[in-house]
Amino acid sequence: MKWAWPSCSTHLAGALLAAIGVWLLWPVVAVAQSPWGRDYWPNVTLTTHDDRQVKFYDDVLRGKIVVVNFIFTNCGDVCPLDTAQLKRVQELIGDHAGRDVTFYSISVDPENDTPKAMRAFMKKFDIKVGWTFLTGRPDDITLIQRKFGLEPAGDKPTAHSTTIILANEATGQYVKRSPYDNPQMLANVLTGQLNPKGRGSGSRLSYADAVAVATDESAQMFRTRCATCHTIGSGDGLGPDLLMVSSRRSPEWLARFIREPDKMLAEKDETAMAMLPNFRNLAMPNLKLSEQNVVDLIAFIDVESRKAMEARAAAQHGEHHHR
Amino acid sequence: MSTFGNCARVLLAGGAAIWVGSTALAQTSLEARKYNIPTGMDGSPLFAAQPFTQKMLMFEEFGTKPVPTEECTNCKVVVAPSDCNKSMSPDKIDTAIKQRLFPLPTREANLSRPNPWQTKIGECLGWQLKTSYIEGRPPGEMYAHQRYDEFAPKVYFQSVQSGARTNTGLRDSMQLHGYKVGEFAPGGLYHNTASGSGFGGSTNGIAIRMHPKMPVQDANSVWTFDGTLPPKLLMARVGEPILFRHFNGLPINVAANNGFGHHLITTHEHNGHNPAESDGFTGAYFYPGQYYDYRWPMQLAGRDSENVNATDPRAGMPDGAGGVIKIRGDWRETESTHWFHDHMIDYTAQNVYKGNAAMMNYYSAVDRGREGLKCHYADPANANLCLPSGTGLDWGNRDYDVNLLIADKAWDSKGQLAFNIFNKDGFLGDQMTVNWAWKPYMDVRARKYRLRLLNGSVSRYFKIAIVTDKGVRVPFHMIANDGNIMEHAVPFPNAESKDLPTQAIAERFDIIVDFSKYPVGTKLYFVNTLEHRDGAGPKEEIPLNEILSGKYKGDPAVGKFMEFRVQAYTGQDLSMNPADYVEGKKKMIPLPKIPAADLAKAKRRTFEFGRSGGTDETPWTIKTDGGDGLSADIQRVSAAPQMGAWEIWRIESNSGGWSHPVHIHFEEGQILTRDGRPPPIWERYARKDVYRVGPEPNSSAVVEVAIRFREFAGSYVEHCHNTQHEDHAMLLRWDILNPGQTVAIPTPEGGWEGMFYEPSYVLPTWRTGRGTGPTPASTTTNATTTTTTTTR
Repeated sequence: MKWAWPSCSTHLAGALLAAIGVWLLWPVVAVAQSPWGRDYWPNVTLTTHDDRQVKFYDDVLRGKIVVVNFIFTNCGDVCPLDTAQLKRVQELIGDHAGRDVTFYSISVDPENDTPKAMRAFMKKFDIKVGWTFLTGRPDDITLIQRKFGLEPAGDKPTAHSTTIILANEATGQYVKRSPYDNPQMLANVLTGQLNPKGRGSGSRLSYADAVAVATDESAQMFRTRCATCHTIGSGDGLGPDLLMVSSRRSPEWLARFIREPDKMLAEKDETAMAMLPNFRNLAMPNLKLSEQNVVDLIAFIDVESRKAMEARAAAQHGEHHHR
Repeated sequence: MSTFGNCARVLLAGGAAIWVGSTALAQTSLEARKYNIPTGMDGSPLFAAQPFTQKMLMFEEFGTKPVPTEECTNCKVVVAPSDCNKSMSPDKIDTAIKQRLFPLPTREANLSRPNPWQTKIGECLGWQLKTSYIEGRPPGEMYAHQRYDEFAPKVYFQSVQSGARTNTGLRDSMQLHGYKVGEFAPGGLYHNTASGSGFGGSTNGIAIRMHPKMPVQDANSVWTFDGTLPPKLLMARVGEPILFRHFNGLPINVAANNGFGHHLITTHEHNGHNPAESDGFTGAYFYPGQYYDYRWPMQLAGRDSENVNATDPRAGMPDGAGGVIKIRGDWRETESTHWFHDHMIDYTAQNVYKGNAAMMNYYSAVDRGREGLKCHYADPANANLCLPSGTGLDWGNRDYDVNLLIADKAWDSKGQLAFNIFNKDGFLGDQMTVNWAWKPYMDVRARKYRLRLLNGSVSRYFKIAIVTDKGVRVPFHMIANDGNIMEHAVPFPNAESKDLPTQAIAERFDIIVDFSKYPVGTKLYFVNTLEHRDGAGPKEEIPLNEILSGKYKGDPAVGKFMEFRVQAYTGQDLSMNPADYVEGKKKMIPLPKIPAADLAKAKRRTFEFGRSGGTDETPWTIKTDGGDGLSADIQRVSAAPQMGAWEIWRIESNSGGWSHPVHIHFEEGQILTRDGRPPPIWERYARKDVYRVGPEPNSSAVVEVAIRFREFAGSYVEHCHNTQHEDHAMLLRWDILNPGQTVAIPTPEGGWEGMFYEPSYVLPTWRTGRGTGPTPASTTTNATTTTTTTTR
């Protein structure tokens, strides 16, 4: 353990809760109350992307189902993916977003992440409702990370924890997941397990439907790494539609761009630079994929493109036929 | 805050404000603070309790009954609690457990009735369920009981997982000994079940508390089987299929947990040769009000290929009348000491710590729990090893055969069990308990005993020494490792270790101690010598003399934690002498031999446990077969062995300084090598299901295991049994495929309204692993020489 757990505060929280929440009221009112409440969380002041001052416990956490992650807007690789992933999760939970699930991204680089910088970042990702970006005093943000049981980034934002926290403060539930989890599973946790009023939002296949479905790793790779920004034949998203992309770009260019887009942009690659303005200048992050990953992904995109084209042809043929 | 003036705020150089507890209530010194034990909280107050002043609780048997053949006509479904924040009420639990099995079990999940708590659940949640089901098992064929007619359950037991309450003696009459036999009879050492009077021949009145001077646990601080102590034990016979109906009687309000634990549960029978639907898959959880039928076939592995005519007298179960009912399968696969515990995704550590853990003893022709009956030591043609147990019953004597669940715990200033849910490196308690009793004593006869030690901690490893009150080491033998009787007994001290080897979470060591070597009145002690500073893994072994002299003041869980008091014995010890079974002498249960030709063509898989990803501080991951470092995703199938063939699984720790006890479900394996060398003597003759990797004593960075999968199929997991690591993603799913199966089965996913499915997907290497044949010279993580046939 490189750091000392704020030892007594936990105990204090437990003791306080026991005193207030259980021992005085119980058995008159048997209120189930989490010890991970007001007395556990630091109620420090943070600044939102729209320049509001908020209290971490009172305004950010209390009584809410939340998604919390830590980012910095100059982050080259994982954070943009995290953000894109969470955006996908937000889409999947539909109208829960902003209604009963709130997203927070807290900066671990508060010196640079001014509200203005955060607003610019949000604009790139086209983030609108139910998602607040937060910055604040470095010590306060360090403390918040520790309270979540995450290793604080210190003065090296690149070393920050990418863990995504899914929580319901009211029920005292805190689940830690990876940004590479299937967004649908994260959505299910938010709308099901964490939400006492929630029915869940899974694909809810019956047994009979489920046995027919099985996919392989490249499909999953696409779903967790690519589908947050790209479709294959359903139009542009945060990034371009990849339908038949192999026929539009040379194999070398495509493989390299998927592998190290950051380097190609740094080298001012003409094709890459030309795309940027069409996508709010949102640069594709380096996803740290292996060469084999890239080969598999391109093969997957090719197969799915062919399927999409066939489906289009069949649809057109059908229309024609009906006429 | 001012009312809590016993805390002083200290500002550290790093700028973070931290609280330091006073020593007035919390009996830990500032010195101990650098140890971060208990993890993230103050030391547990002792309420003036003194060590070794309370009697240890002996496990209480669930007791089994024959499965009824006709539906009960006047039985009732379980009754919802009146309060959303409470477990099912104690009297209703007793009624439910006493009642006959109702409704009758079904092959596929029973979806014919609603969750009997449906109305109350709607009221508590504030919305009415559109659908609900009485059984929480995922629907359809995929989670139907495999080979159900063949292994139809013969006996059953049922329990309600619920909040702490006082035992009503509900199971007194279900004990095999009935408090009338041997040491459990009046006048015997164990007739009285607890300290104090009024516990003769009954557990009625036993409350859940760590010590008589400590507070009774609140109903939502401890959740366990029946909601009661003593901890529970299943007495099972090899070859006799069992049905366990596990009711979820926990509070409907998920927040009613006193700070930790989840009301969704799934029950894993650790190392059972069980089909996947009854293995307690981490995603196959069930809800308050529901039950889940676990059907454990209790078959010997190799049933389909070895001893198929059931002629071998060593493969069988006690018949209750001095004989053996012979069964099919390989008698060398006989298992003995198991446990079952919760396996809820994200919450395993919290739920097990909170009390969702029981033990299970398998009784068989070779391990009958009956000494002096057709003993192997008298005639090599006899199967019965006559391990220390007793003589009063035909099988399952526990007079001199004692289950010990050893676990570290911590509690808050009110004495209520406490847990830090945020720490992801591991959680340590500062107090040692045995069978939930804080530092107990146990009376023993001056004769040989079999002690079955289970490490039931969340993150703490033990190294246990046995010493006299003079501090002299007591010699003993280990006879079973991970609950499987070894080929040879291993004497301790030995050249490789003076004391028991490191015992990680979930490892079981069965030992034989001969108390007859000590005069009546002697006191002997279990001493934990393995120091932790934090939950990441053990630090170092502390010399015994430093501990016993009081010089060592570090980890508060290092030191004496259990006392044995030697009492006079007038009976005749008819148990085997383990010294006759050491290396070079007689064999207990020989290891199944692996033909060299099979090893040469064995499929190889590698699993690297560590941290990896995009940044330095990254989540726990496992790299399978040289692929990417991945965190848990129960939709992903990482490996899919075919039934029947041997495979070689290589487990590595690639995270310097971190220890991981890796558990593979379903099947035990044989350790071939540790860091390329033969394993130590206690693993050389053993079948294991927990494989330690890491820098701790008696371990290595790499372990190679030979393993094979037979008889059953479906989704299983492999994971780090430091359950905090497991809950933070160090888990992977692997499936056993039926012959001809090409598509991975779907992944269960649930809600109050029922279990559904999500699609599954597979790693490119799921079938092929890293190829076959000898170990590749290169073991680097990015080796690309492996077969990567895609699966489409």
